[in-house]
Amino acid sequence: MAKNKEKTIVLDPFQKWAHSYGRLGTLLAIIYMIAVPFIICSVYKCTPTIGMVLNPGTIGILLIYIPVGFSEAISYTPVMGSSAYLGFITGNIMNLKFPVAINGLKVAKVEQSTPEGDAVSAVSIAVSSIVTIIILAIAAALSSLISPIFQTPFMVTAKDYVIPALFGAMALGLFGTGANTSGKIVKGATKGVIPVIIIVSAVALVARIGGAGGTLLGLAGILIVLMIPVAILSSWIMFKKGMIKVVDAVPKAEAAPAAEAVVEAAVEADEEK
Amino acid sequence: MKAIANSPLMFALVAIGLAYIVFLSIAFYRRAYKRCLELGITKETMKDVIKSSAIFSVVPSLSIVVGLFALVAVFQSVIWPWWRLSVIGSLSYEVQISGLLASSFGVSLVDMSPEQFGAVLILMSVGMLSGFLILIPFGKKLCMSVAKTETTSDWRHVFSGVFLLTLFAVFIPLLLIGDTIQALVMITGLIVAIILGVIASKPKMGWLNNFILAITMIVGMASSVFWVGLFK
Repeated sequence: MAKNKEKTIVLDPFQKWAHSYGRLGTLLAIIYMIAVPFIICSVYKCTPTIGMVLNPGTIGILLIYIPVGFSEAISYTPVMGSSAYLGFITGNIMNLKFPVAINGLKVAKVEQSTPEGDAVSAVSIAVSSIVTIIILAIAAALSSLISPIFQTPFMVTAKDYVIPALFGAMALGLFGTGANTSGKIVKGATKGVIPVIIIVSAVALVARIGGAGGTLLGLAGILIVLMIPVAILSSWIMFKKGMIKVVDAVPKAEAAPAAEAVVEAAVEADEEK
Repeated sequence: MKAIANSPLMFALVAIGLAYIVFLSIAFYRRAYKRCLELGITKETMKDVIKSSAIFSVVPSLSIVVGLFALVAVFQSVIWPWWRLSVIGSLSYEVQISGLLASSFGVSLVDMSPEQFGAVLILMSVGMLSGFLILIPFGKKLCMSVAKTETTSDWRHVFSGVFLLTLFAVFIPLLLIGDTIQALVMITGLIVAIILGVIASKPKMGWLNNFILAITMIVGMASSVFWVGLFK
């Protein structure tokens, strides 16, 4: 019965548009991106030999990054929804597009993986892309004037800590499970990822002892892909055992929307009951 | 190599590419904005979303500018780094791959032959495209697999949230255990977010909600300088 219902999912008009034009727009963008170096090479007669492009050194580098690209697409697309196309074209997913989409969902009080969530994420990601392009254009135009500011030790150190600062800001609200636009609340959802937290903590500890703790972040995408089946399985078991429950949303009092700690505490209190 | 990197042709190709990306962003924005209103989201809320997204994007963009100048120093040109960091390229990938490729050729980027430079341009352009081999054919399926509707089964509500939770369940232990400075920056951000959240819940302070993420990021990143000074 449930299966039949799931098959009837109909895409929202915006989602339909985003998937068809997103695909087309992405395809054109990557064709152009690949074409640019070849145009340059053919005009300036600097086309390299195949051996120069593909040699053991460069293949080694590509072998590191190709799986990262695959894993990022698998991990982030379900979260970003149909706006993933624009997000991936403009890049900087983890340090910019993903958090900006999550922030947009919170401001609009809508939920991911819903028509509202997809449309709001797309607005956030589009605005963010344009802002980044403008800032980079200004920086490029004024490069000789402003580059000393951005090469100060303060800026060089701070730029390496975008992701930790972001997660500090987002961790608070994301583990809350507030009412959603489909009228349901998932209670205890975070319990489903406890095995993932344990496994990743063990991996991080081993890496830290081995002196490679700081470099682990580069492999986060691959770890996510490996951990998604674990999280799905443990969530499924806990759902079947009643440890994770889906209940009808009870209209919340006019709680301050971003006081996530307050919302979180209320959800936790409900769980305790 | 420097002549190619600073050529008018390079500039023209980059400008056309960026114009296309801006056009695509505007197309997505217009469609999505219209749909948000149709779905009952008020103009006021959308104004908040736009303002908050724009403000939030400034700080990470400035960190990309730092990366831009790191790449400019390597390339002795601003055009190509500007292009790479405005499109697919992630900051860390672009900075790493340019350095790694130069070392694999055994010369610095500035001393490369035109052909070696051509190889760098090609590899930087294709290296991060692998994700699209998943996104273009399977993007719709990946989104549909977690889509929620009113008729969605209970399990599906749980399932759709698993991806986001897994992302956090992976990143948070990596940040907390992998590196002391990263952990301290994250905890600083968390504390600042809690304090701002409490302040924002006070009467007449609701406007602060739109700035919490941006302020937290600035304080968190700035704190890294203090923590590095203390522990390194």
